[in-house]
Amino acid sequence: MYPIWEVPYFSSALIIGLIASFHILPSHLAVGAFWFNVYIERKAYREKQLELLDFIKRYTLLILIFCFVFGSLSGVGIWYSATVASPRGISALIHNYVWGWATEWVFFLIEVATIYVYYYTFGKVDEKTHLRIGYLYALAAWISMIIITGILAFMLTPGKWLETGRFFDGFFNSTYWPQLFARTFLMFGIAAVYALVVATTLQNKAVQYKITRLAGLWGILGFLIGGLMTYWYLKKLPEPAQDFLFGGTLPYLKTLLYVSGISWVLALLYFLLCGALFPRANTLAGSLLLMLILFFGIFAGEGLREGLRRPYIVNFFMYSHQVVAADLPAKGIQAETELLSEAGYLSRLGYLPPELRKITPENQVEIGRILVIHQCANCHALSAKGLRSLPKLLSGMGMTDPEDLAGFLEGLDGYPYMPPFVGTEEERLAAGAYLSTLVENK
Amino acid sequence: MDSFANYINTLRDVSGLPFYPWLFDILLVFTFTCHILLVNLVLGGSIVLLWGKLSGNPYGGRLSRSLSRVLPISLSWAIVLGVAPLLFIQVIYDPFWYFSSVISAWWTLAFLALIALAFSLFYVYYLRGGYEGQGNPLWVFLALAALSTVAVIIHALSLQAVHPERWSEWVVKGGRVNFSGSGLYAFELPRILHFILASVAIIGIFLMLYARYFRARPDYPSEYLAWVERTGARTAFVFSLLQAGAGIWWFLTLPRTFHFYIHPLFLIGAGFGITLIVVLALAQARPSAYTWPVTILAFLTVFFMSYAREALRMKYLHRAGYSFADYPVHPSWSSTALFLLTFVMGLVILFYVGLVAFRAGRGHKEVGSHGLGKLAVTLSCLWIGIMVVIGLVISFKNGALP
Repeated sequence: MYPIWEVPYFSSALIIGLIASFHILPSHLAVGAFWFNVYIERKAYREKQLELLDFIKRYTLLILIFCFVFGSLSGVGIWYSATVASPRGISALIHNYVWGWATEWVFFLIEVATIYVYYYTFGKVDEKTHLRIGYLYALAAWISMIIITGILAFMLTPGKWLETGRFFDGFFNSTYWPQLFARTFLMFGIAAVYALVVATTLQNKAVQYKITRLAGLWGILGFLIGGLMTYWYLKKLPEPAQDFLFGGTLPYLKTLLYVSGISWVLALLYFLLCGALFPRANTLAGSLLLMLILFFGIFAGEGLREGLRRPYIVNFFMYSHQVVAADLPAKGIQAETELLSEAGYLSRLGYLPPELRKITPENQVEIGRILVIHQCANCHALSAKGLRSLPKLLSGMGMTDPEDLAGFLEGLDGYPYMPPFVGTEEERLAAGAYLSTLVENK
Repeated sequence: MDSFANYINTLRDVSGLPFYPWLFDILLVFTFTCHILLVNLVLGGSIVLLWGKLSGNPYGGRLSRSLSRVLPISLSWAIVLGVAPLLFIQVIYDPFWYFSSVISAWWTLAFLALIALAFSLFYVYYLRGGYEGQGNPLWVFLALAALSTVAVIIHALSLQAVHPERWSEWVVKGGRVNFSGSGLYAFELPRILHFILASVAIIGIFLMLYARYFRARPDYPSEYLAWVERTGARTAFVFSLLQAGAGIWWFLTLPRTFHFYIHPLFLIGAGFGITLIVVLALAQARPSAYTWPVTILAFLTVFFMSYAREALRMKYLHRAGYSFADYPVHPSWSSTALFLLTFVMGLVILFYVGLVAFRAGRGHKEVGSHGLGKLAVTLSCLWIGIMVVIGLVISFKNGALP
């Protein structure tokens, strides 16, 4: 096991969540926007409405800066935050899907090349070539979504991979298609929101209203079909996830679903009223507010998607505390839960000096702290205040005694959304001893 | 096997590798070479931009205008080209990369935040008059400061990774484990200097290429381009010498047991490096005659030095009992083929896009090569079509659909 990065109050998992949710805005814009762009550009050439090009230039600059500065870096940010928060989790994904990511990277190269050529050759190359570069960008960006969705969906529904360990068996899994189509259509809505923002900055009112109306229509269409696909996605969720969400096991997930649902409805209303029907009503403040609402919706939606996988990083295969949960004979993998319950979790902490790898009355609490941080701190704050605060949860259950706490840890997997505590009895007692100090000092 | 080497082996991913490690290693070195060249361009470009802007020389001012556009584009390329080596290093050197990152978690994240800051500052400079010859150089200066910090961070992370024997003392202090991820633990001045000085040498060669490229454009005066070319050749020569000096200093600090001076990759790299310096010395009198030899030699030097760097990493990790050759392999032929075929296809598309950029930059409005352009679009569509067919077949076969 690697050491752990303990983030006070927030937990490291939340850091990934924040960066990942932010990334959705620029990344989905990067994928969706160019379809809107080439659509308008084609229209401009065909209908000889060259004033529309003014919008495209501004819109492309927004994509260039927002997506290629903040989008690309927040994308790497998800990866980096996962690296420091859950190294074995990201490692499992990379060691199975490295060629997927490498393939996606080829399209990143194409995206970077085409966006700059597109932006800097406005009016400097023939129309046909310019439009073609736009199409190449749009295709490459969408392909990057086709790839990454497979890896994301794999984490929730690894499906046949759990038996075969084969790349494509995990990639084309049961939630792949609904998620791909949901993202594809919702991204048109996200692109439309940005178009609404940029449109308000245009001087020529006729062009402004025309773009606003078109963006409204794109938004409505994208969100309606995207909504339908999301419904299909929810229907395809595996059994435990259905229970967490609809069976009331994890009520907060339903709240997240409502939040994203409400933001979806509000966005649709805005597209209809301030876009398609009354383009004059679209203002900079209004469209920015819509973006903020959308961000909350996305944050909730991504939180929901992550929460549905509890207690796993890769469903049914690796627990959220990075312990391998199941055998995978095809790759010679053995579950670690039982293995470490016998050999002890400390047996895997080779970075510790020898004096911290054998429990004594003197070091019991410090070793308990190490074990608790390793197995709990990824999701739980160890302070009285903070996300899923352990002292608060435990004192709420009235537990203070080290042995009671150790007993509680032993039965932890009785909660369907919690991973088991992995270790020997002696280690559980040490963890219990440390937890009792947390509850007492609360 | 001692217990620490055993620990490192338990850190290796349980899934093993989806292909033989040599392929990841070659890709790692090749993509790192491309990445580091672009990083050099960004760092060296910022330095030359500031110098040109502040020197008061009108040619320097004009050069700084061009560089204001080059910088954000090169940074974009540096980032995207950095993704690949970052990916491959995690495949074959996962224990070291992850351990080093986790114990310096906040720095790992600050690394990206600082790049985003520098990137934004480059754009602020470019969009607020930098390209027109105005613009406040303070923005570029701050960006350079941010990127230098970035260099220190990635330098430290890479060094921490090759010193597993010190991990324990870094993490555990006085019997208590530090899980805060707030420390940065390693620094070697000659190693980082060797890299920073290279940046200025590489930008010198870039300037020679710049002069050659824009000679075809009537709006670029030939005296200006001749000045850029001379300046480039001189900068490249002087900084290649300094760079070699820092390299020798670093070389002397390496553990003697490595016997690195007889390593073939190092010797090839050093051979190309010395040849480059000699050719640069010859180029001072008539730089335009040497643009291509210098460029090719520089690429080969960087490539083989990157390979030597890789060999050095192996020496360090061998000390800890690690070799990626022992990593269990479960070849995934289908996904390996997916990447390799896509890569070849990507090169075709990138060639077309590069051609458009090259001709447009030279002032041709009708760029032509429509056949190649159509092929690029067709290939992209074909890629989607093939994936959809494979996807549907597998999905129905496995019961993932309907």
